[in-house]
Amino acid sequence: MKGLFNKIIEVNLNDRTHQIIEIADEIYENYLGGRGLGVKLFTDRVSPTVEPLSPDNKLVFTIGPVTGTSVSTSGRMSLVTKSPLTGTIFYSNTGGIFGFSMKRCGIDGIIIEGKSEKPCYIIIDGDKGVKIKDAEELWGLDTEETYDKLKEIEGEKVHTLEIGPAGENQVLLASIMNDASRAFGRGGVGAVLGSKNLKAIAVINGKQKTEVDNPELLKNYAKSALDKIKALPVTRAALPLFGTAGVLHVTNSLGMLPIRNFTYGQHEKAPLIGGEAIRKEILVKTEACYGCTIRCGRLTEAGSMKGKGPEYETVWSLGANCEIFNLIKITQANYHCNKLGLDTISMGVTISCAMELQDKGLFPYEEVKFGNEDVLSELVIKTAKKEGIGADLAEGSKRLAEKYGDAETAIHVKGLELPAYDPRGAMGHALGYATSNRGGCHLTGYMAAMEIFNAPKKIPRFTLGGKPDLLVLKQNQSAVEDSLVNCKFSGYALGFDYQARFVSAITGLDFNVTRLLEIGERIYNLERVFNIGAGFSNEDDKLPERFETVPFKEGLSKDRVVPINEMLSAYYNVRGWDENGVPKKEKLEELGLK
Amino acid sequence: MKIDKETFNSFDLVGKDLSNRGYNSSHAGNLSMKSGGKIIITRRSAMLGWLQPEDLVIIDLEEEDAHSGLIASTESNVHRNIYKHTDAMAIVHAHAPATTALSMIEDEITCIDGEGMFLYKKIPIVECDIPVGSYEVAEKVAPALQNYPAVVVRAHGVFAKGVTLEDALGVLTGVEQAADIIYRVKLLGQPLKRDYSKEKGFTNW
Ligand code: SF4
Repeated sequence: MKGLFNKIIEVNLNDRTHQIIEIADEIYENYLGGRGLGVKLFTDRVSPTVEPLSPDNKLVFTIGPVTGTSVSTSGRMSLVTKSPLTGTIFYSNTGGIFGFSMKRCGIDGIIIEGKSEKPCYIIIDGDKGVKIKDAEELWGLDTEETYDKLKEIEGEKVHTLEIGPAGENQVLLASIMNDASRAFGRGGVGAVLGSKNLKAIAVINGKQKTEVDNPELLKNYAKSALDKIKALPVTRAALPLFGTAGVLHVTNSLGMLPIRNFTYGQHEKAPLIGGEAIRKEILVKTEACYGCTIRCGRLTEAGSMKGKGPEYETVWSLGANCEIFNLIKITQANYHCNKLGLDTISMGVTISCAMELQDKGLFPYEEVKFGNEDVLSELVIKTAKKEGIGADLAEGSKRLAEKYGDAETAIHVKGLELPAYDPRGAMGHALGYATSNRGGCHLTGYMAAMEIFNAPKKIPRFTLGGKPDLLVLKQNQSAVEDSLVNCKFSGYALGFDYQARFVSAITGLDFNVTRLLEIGERIYNLERVFNIGAGFSNEDDKLPERFETVPFKEGLSKDRVVPINEMLSAYYNVRGWDENGVPKKEKLEELGLK
Repeated sequence: MKIDKETFNSFDLVGKDLSNRGYNSSHAGNLSMKSGGKIIITRRSAMLGWLQPEDLVIIDLEEEDAHSGLIASTESNVHRNIYKHTDAMAIVHAHAPATTALSMIEDEITCIDGEGMFLYKKIPIVECDIPVGSYEVAEKVAPALQNYPAVVVRAHGVFAKGVTLEDALGVLTGVEQAADIIYRVKLLGQPLKRDYSKEKGFTNW
């Protein structure tokens, strides 16, 4: 299909061999690329019951038809694997420039299977081909050191995906970093790489260009999209000026910024750690993924340290949710997460879970208490090393809370820690957490865009009517965006029809909105079927109990709880699933899934 | 399935707004939204400016049912087909005068004002032998709404989609505003000093 190369590299680490496989056009026409292609290739090859940290689990890294084109926010790529944290299928997405660089090497992705006997890394060289090399001198290095070392070995222009010590130690919260800057953050995907003794994937010297069916038309659409990005306040001002952490000011004022492990919805000190404070106090410069004009990334300086971030989710998870409002300490803990290769959301929420357990007298470490900013970085470092208390934290909040006798203290769905929007503040968003195929994720359906940020339009955040229908639409749209691959933030400025225009101009095929939504639905159902095979059921589509029974007493989200079951049955109905949340045979047939 | 108060309020608000604008005669126009895998739609000949709870009818999303045949809006088949083939979550239909007038002399509405260009660029016009309520309307309107937020049925009126009724109303009134400006410029009888629509390649949109 135009816009792609129909070629994937398949690497077997058991014997360090690789081969190029051809992918039929039909697969792209039904799954596009990115997440969709990854889910298709993964589910065709891996049993749902696979042990995530065994050699039999695979990782599928892919780009899509829009990746690296003239479309402004297209510098992104996707990963699909089975998560050791959740046990579900796991799709993840990263920015930076790696995806574009991989595309320039003339491939649409790489499938990794097996386990190398010794530490290794994969280099994809546009001039010299693919090699699997020893990485013993890289093992033990943090992500920044790994990136620097690979530049030394392979050349300054190399781009990398790498794990830090957390991934090597198979910490269930481990991320895969991208040029030590952006991340495949969630779900413990770094542990999967670590379990294979694979330290990094590097790419260099790509010179190939993808064929675009109608470059003039694509230019026209990309220009129009850019006009919108430059005009709409979220993409024109909020994200460039304040980064994602600008969001904190809004969620706090709406009473839905989770504080103290989701006990309160706002705090007077919260602005001390928001995007405005970051801009004023620690910002060095803004940064962007390949070709993006929004520039939501931050390079910052905190005390004697310098690094990337923090994002909204991070100032919240390592900050507000632990009742910590010291921006420097939070930012330093964030740098440690990036260097050691840890997901900041799950790390922070696991710490806040430990703090609540301690508060209840169930956790023996006295210093792990709400508001104690001095323990943050130390806990992060110990987690990466699985040292002392870190060995418990390394398992994530669900296992931690179960071990210490109060499972309800863990704020997660399907084992994935919830992010920074309290579900009591937005009902559609709450349903999105419960039904996301990868667990407690805000981006799988991102109803907050409509319920909070009026994008593309405002909908009332507490009503229930129509929410399941809207969520299904958003989840299917997101699956498409992740498959093209285009940044979710473009959705603040662009209607979904833009995605249809982009991919149609690139491929020359008629991918209208309806056809794209059907592809999104196919991807979503295929993921659901895999999860059911892995042992998940409607019992797992639930929220922690406090969201159903304990309302906030103050603020603009007070007196609200989430009637999740009421929305859930309507959601299953809209999806064409039975009352147990299992896709009906007719639905699967309609989507061409067996 | 019950229709909750907030949902009724939404229909009521949008119906009153349309009525106040004079886009429909007293008993014309129709509104609908998707909810719980069904369609909530206004009753046939409901007065959009004076909606009562029983003026909202729940009909099947997939096929004709007794309610859609007996009491739902004449154009329930058009709404259903739009939901089946597009990303619409709500639909507003009205006989907005400037847009309807332009549809009789143009093949598409190409926006020439800043707001219209930014939001819509151009709006397609479809022509039907029976322009009201027919299966032909249903068949022609839905494909046009796949990549555009609104479509005009020649000599009849506008179908606008949105994520909510209020959103669809915003599209419909926005299109009418853009059409009204074109209409007034035509009345002035002067050439445009600067035709942005040509510069921005809207013919390709
Ligand atoms: S908006 Fe931010 S995350 Fe998205 S592509 Fe641009 S810089 Fe990357």
